[in-house]
Amino acid sequence: MTATAESLWTALPARMGAALVSIADQTGGIGVLAGRIVRRLFPPRIDRYELVRNLHKMGVRSVGIVAITAAFTGAIMVIQAAPLVTRFNAKEVVGWGAGFATLREVGPLLIALMFSGRVGANNTAELGTMVVTEQIDALRALAIDPISYLVLPRVLSMIGMLFVLTIVGNCVAIGGSMLAAKALLDVDPRSFYNSLVTLLDEWDFITGLIKSVGFGAMIAVTSCHFGLSVRGGAPGVGRAVNAAVVAAASGIFILDYFSTYLLG
Amino acid sequence: MSATGERTAPLEADVDGSREPTGLLETVGAAPLELVRDLRGLRRTLVTTLRYTFRGRRDWRAIAEQMYAIGNRSVFFLSVTMGFIGMIMIFQSGVQTKKIVPDLTLLGANYIELLVRDFAASIGAMMLATRVGAGIAAEIGSMVVTEQTDALRMCAADPIEYLVVPRFVASVLMTTVLVIWACFIAMMAGMLTANTIFDVNYWTFLNFSLVDTGDVVVCFAKCLAYGAAIPIVSAHRGLHTFGGSEGVGWATTNAVVHSSLAVIVLNFFISSAGWLIFGS
Repeated sequence: MTATAESLWTALPARMGAALVSIADQTGGIGVLAGRIVRRLFPPRIDRYELVRNLHKMGVRSVGIVAITAAFTGAIMVIQAAPLVTRFNAKEVVGWGAGFATLREVGPLLIALMFSGRVGANNTAELGTMVVTEQIDALRALAIDPISYLVLPRVLSMIGMLFVLTIVGNCVAIGGSMLAAKALLDVDPRSFYNSLVTLLDEWDFITGLIKSVGFGAMIAVTSCHFGLSVRGGAPGVGRAVNAAVVAAASGIFILDYFSTYLLG
Repeated sequence: MSATGERTAPLEADVDGSREPTGLLETVGAAPLELVRDLRGLRRTLVTTLRYTFRGRRDWRAIAEQMYAIGNRSVFFLSVTMGFIGMIMIFQSGVQTKKIVPDLTLLGANYIELLVRDFAASIGAMMLATRVGAGIAAEIGSMVVTEQTDALRMCAADPIEYLVVPRFVASVLMTTVLVIWACFIAMMAGMLTANTIFDVNYWTFLNFSLVDTGDVVVCFAKCLAYGAAIPIVSAHRGLHTFGGSEGVGWATTNAVVHSSLAVIVLNFFISSAGWLIFGS
């Protein structure tokens, strides 16, 4: 009897403690992996074939999904701004509003989330499958360092490709909001463009790109960490992918807050 | 036996990169064809799920278990992300508003309206698509790979009735609850940020005067649509898993991407409809 009563009292703190310990464990693991990756960069010894293959797989094959996401996001920004615009009768600043929100925040953020879902999760699954089928151990047995052979090209191509995809996505999103502004608010694309160009400067665009580099690094290191620490066969791979996307999404939001604060 | 019959058909096209398109026509046509095939499969899953939800017997124990897995276990993740997005939005909009008008009294009212009409439901559902969608696909995918769904079929039980329906019902209920919670968290985070950075009084910030019926209706329509779309898309991907641990990874990846995309596309349509109907 006392045992059950005690377990009821201790169950909640024990669980919260276990959750905290596991978060600390994963964060520490991600940090250690990031340190190892940085150390492998001096001097850089990257497998060129693996790098090009990853650049193609992660970049070129994500263009479609990024473009669709960006186009809808741009349109949604205008739909959400529409009541405000009609309330204050300020149709001429809709280009500025949508452009500012898209370039600074929503564009990089949503593109990074989709990239994390598509490329990051896929990367975790791939590395996890290699771990489960003991291919990583085989690499080690051949005296090939898995981090510089497998992880480094992936990390570099994820950071580079998210940067490029954010540029593409931003342009598509602006196009999407231009169309939505014409259709919903009857704002001429030319006046939309004018308010965009006169009220925004390069810095608004660059801020988003700086963020995208941070997001890319975050997605890359998290997905590689969760992929390399898979345990327990096919269900383990599924769990690792799940944990990786959740960790990457939390990391992206936390990073976004601090970068917004720092970049102003 | 809808799921067994079509398992052979989409095999080649489903694995990304397993079969490269050769000709120009094939390259151009592969994507739309796959989209149409996917949408038809999704519709079939949705119709079967709805039929079992309304006509079949409901396993309340399984539904409660799924509600715990989908709802309670997402609270922490959702609170962290929504708290941060609330702080980001208030910070950005406050800095920008200050450049034009020095007075920030309406910041809270506009923010809360936007939160109720769109951001709480949509960003929250994107997060749930990541967590819940990946979870459902990983779980069902593992069952498919280890032939547990085939065992269910051998016992004359449809996997959709046993696996998808509880997740569907739980997700529709819990998404609504979690979106309300997300709205609350984002509001609190925004209120604290507005007070600490821009010195906006708490009670000035909590101004619900701009939230009207249309906003609330749109919010609940979104909750319902996202809550239904996420489990259907993910379970569909999970049920079509093949090929060991790599297949489970692929199914999970696709579930995250497709359910996030479903949220964005549904958001576009519901927001447009809301704007056209309520015009506010």
